[in-house]
Amino acid sequence: MKKLRSLFTLSLSLFLLFAAGCGGSKDAKKEEAKVLNIFSWADNFNPQVLKDFEKKYNCKVNYDVFANNEELLAKLQAGGSQYDVIQPSDYMVTTMTKLGLLEKLDKSKMPNTANIMDKLQHTTFDPNGEYSVVYTWGMTGIVYNTKYIKTAPTSWNDLWNPEYKGRVILLNDSREVFGMALKKHGHSNNSTDPAQIQEAFDDLKTLAPNVLAYDTDSIKQKFIAEEAWIGTMWSGDAYFTHKDNPDIAFVIPKEGTTVWADTFAIPKGAKHKELAEQFINYLYDPEVSVKNYEYIGYNDPNTKAASLHAKSFIEDPMLKTAVDQIDRGEWLTDIGDAITLYDKDWTELKTIK
Amino acid sequence: MKRGKLLVVPAMGWLSLFFALPLLIVVVVSFASRTAYGQVVFNWTLANYIRFFEPLYMTIFATTIVTALGTTLLTFAMGYPVAYTIAMILPKKWQQAGIILVMIPFWINFLIRSFAWVIILRSQGVVNTILLHLGLIQKPLTLLYNDAAVLLGMVYALLPFMVLPIYVSLEQMDKRLLEAASDLGAPPVTAFRRITLPLTMPGVAAGSILVFISSLGMFVVPDIMGGAKSALIGNIIQNQFLAARDWPFGSALSIILALLALVMILLYYKALQAQKGGQAHAKNLA
Repeated sequence: MKKLRSLFTLSLSLFLLFAAGCGGSKDAKKEEAKVLNIFSWADNFNPQVLKDFEKKYNCKVNYDVFANNEELLAKLQAGGSQYDVIQPSDYMVTTMTKLGLLEKLDKSKMPNTANIMDKLQHTTFDPNGEYSVVYTWGMTGIVYNTKYIKTAPTSWNDLWNPEYKGRVILLNDSREVFGMALKKHGHSNNSTDPAQIQEAFDDLKTLAPNVLAYDTDSIKQKFIAEEAWIGTMWSGDAYFTHKDNPDIAFVIPKEGTTVWADTFAIPKGAKHKELAEQFINYLYDPEVSVKNYEYIGYNDPNTKAASLHAKSFIEDPMLKTAVDQIDRGEWLTDIGDAITLYDKDWTELKTIK
Repeated sequence: MKRGKLLVVPAMGWLSLFFALPLLIVVVVSFASRTAYGQVVFNWTLANYIRFFEPLYMTIFATTIVTALGTTLLTFAMGYPVAYTIAMILPKKWQQAGIILVMIPFWINFLIRSFAWVIILRSQGVVNTILLHLGLIQKPLTLLYNDAAVLLGMVYALLPFMVLPIYVSLEQMDKRLLEAASDLGAPPVTAFRRITLPLTMPGVAAGSILVFISSLGMFVVPDIMGGAKSALIGNIIQNQFLAARDWPFGSALSIILALLALVMILLYYKALQAQKGGQAHAKNLA
C-alpha cells in the first residue's frame, strides 16, 4: 500500500511539474514588454477601453476568458500567478479569500475605486472590501412577457400560477432556484438550516409542472422567441432581452431576491501587480466607465459617472429597476458544506416528471 | 524488430501522459473527500462509492441506462436500413457518396447542431410554423424540453456510429453466399434472415457498443434539448465538478460509468468469440 501511495504521489507531482513548467516558460518569453494578463468572463469589456489602456500605459493586455467561477478557481489552484487581474463573482470571492488565493488590495493606489456606490463597497462576501471591488452587478428578478401576462407579477408566488403551465423558465443554477424559494418563505438565500432548505425544496416540487426548462446560457433566446412567458432572470440579461423584444418587462418581487456582482481581484503572487492596480483604477475613471458600461450593458456602479451617461442608459427600465430596488437584495455567500444539501435536492428536483 | 518498437514510443508516451495519468488521478480522487470550500482531501474513503447506492442516484443511473438502450435500439432500427441501402442497393460508384453524406454532420460542431434542433422544434420554430400555416394544428405543439426531444437528439447525434460499422460488415460479406441461397430456393427474406443478418452481427454489436457507451455519458443533449429538466448521469457528474464542487463524488461516478462501459466491451468480445466458435463449428460440419 505504501509503495502504491508513493507511486500515486510521484505521478501526481510529475503531472503538476509538467503543468507548472508549461506556464512558466510562457511568461518568461514576455518578460520584455509590460503585459497585463486578465482572466475574465467573455465580452466583459468594451474592446476600445482595453486599447486605450494599452496606449496610455504602453503595455499589452492579454484577455483570457472562463465560462464559470469553478473554472476560474480550478485554474487559480493549479498556479494562478499567470494572471494579474481576475473577476470572481460574489460567493467565489469568499471561497478564494478563505483559501488564501487573493492579494489584499491597496486602495490608496486605486483612488478611483472610491467612486463605487456605497452599497457596493460593503458586501457580505467581502465585508471590508479588502480583497475585491465590484465591477458589474445586478439582481435576480421576474422577467415576463406583457403580451401573455397582463397583470404585473409582484411575488415569487406568481410563478406558481397554474395558468403558466409549461411557460416558466428558471435559471439552471441550484443557488438561484433555491435562493428564490427560500426568499419566498421569508428565509435567507444563504440558509444552511436543513428544515428551511427542505421547506423550499417541497415548494419547488410543486412548481415543477410549470417549468418549461432550466436555462442560464440561452435563456435570453427563449424569452425573445416567446417560448416562455415568465421566469427568473438576471437584470443584465433582462436589459438585452428587452432590447430585442420590447414586450419584455422585469420586476423585483416583494419578498426580496439575490443581488450579485462580478468583481476585480488580484491573485496572490501576480507578476504585474502595479499594472493590475493601474488597470482597475483606470476602469473606475468616470469617463472610461461611461464608455465601458454603455457598451457592455450593465449597471454602472460609478457614482461620479451618473451625470455623464446618456439619459436613455440611466433611465433604461431594466437597469433602473435594479438600482431602485437594491435594498431588497441579499448577496450570495459561500455556504460551505451546506452546498451538498442543495445539490442533492437539486438533483432530485431534476428527476421529477 | 527493435527499431519497429521505437516507433510506438510517441503514441505510448502520449497515451500514458494524457490518458493513463489523468485516469489515475480520477481514480485517486474518487477515494478522497471534499472540504467545506471544495478542496480535495485525501483520506482514503469509500464514502463516494457508497453514496452512489442511494436510491436517488440509482434511479438516475437506471434512467440513463434505459435512455441509452432506447437510443441504441432506435439507431439500430434506423441505421441498419441506411447501411444496407448504401452497401447492397446503391451502385458501386454512389457508395462513397452515401458514406460521405452520413459523415457530413461531423463537419459542424455538435453544440451548434443541437441549437439548430432547438430552432427547428421550438414553439415558434420551423416545424410549428409550417404546421400552423397549413392549418393542421391550432396552437404550437410542445416538441422540445421533454424526454422525447432528448431521445431524438441522442439518436440524431449517434446514428453515424451505428451506420458505419454495419456498412463495413455488409461490405465485407461474401455476396456469393446470397447467390447460393437463391440457387437453393431461399426467398430474399429468408436469405436476409439466415445469412445477411447473422453475418453482419459483429457490425451491429460494434455499432451498439459505440452508441450505448456514448449515450451513457451524454450531457449536452439533456441540457439543451431537454431543457435541463431530466438529469442523466452525465449531467450529475458535470454538476459535481462545477456547481457542487465535489470532485471526489464526481470522480467516483465517472469510474462507475467507465466500469460499466468496460463490462459492455468485455461482453461484446465474449459474444464475438462465441460467434466465431459457432462459425468454425458450422464449417467443420460442412
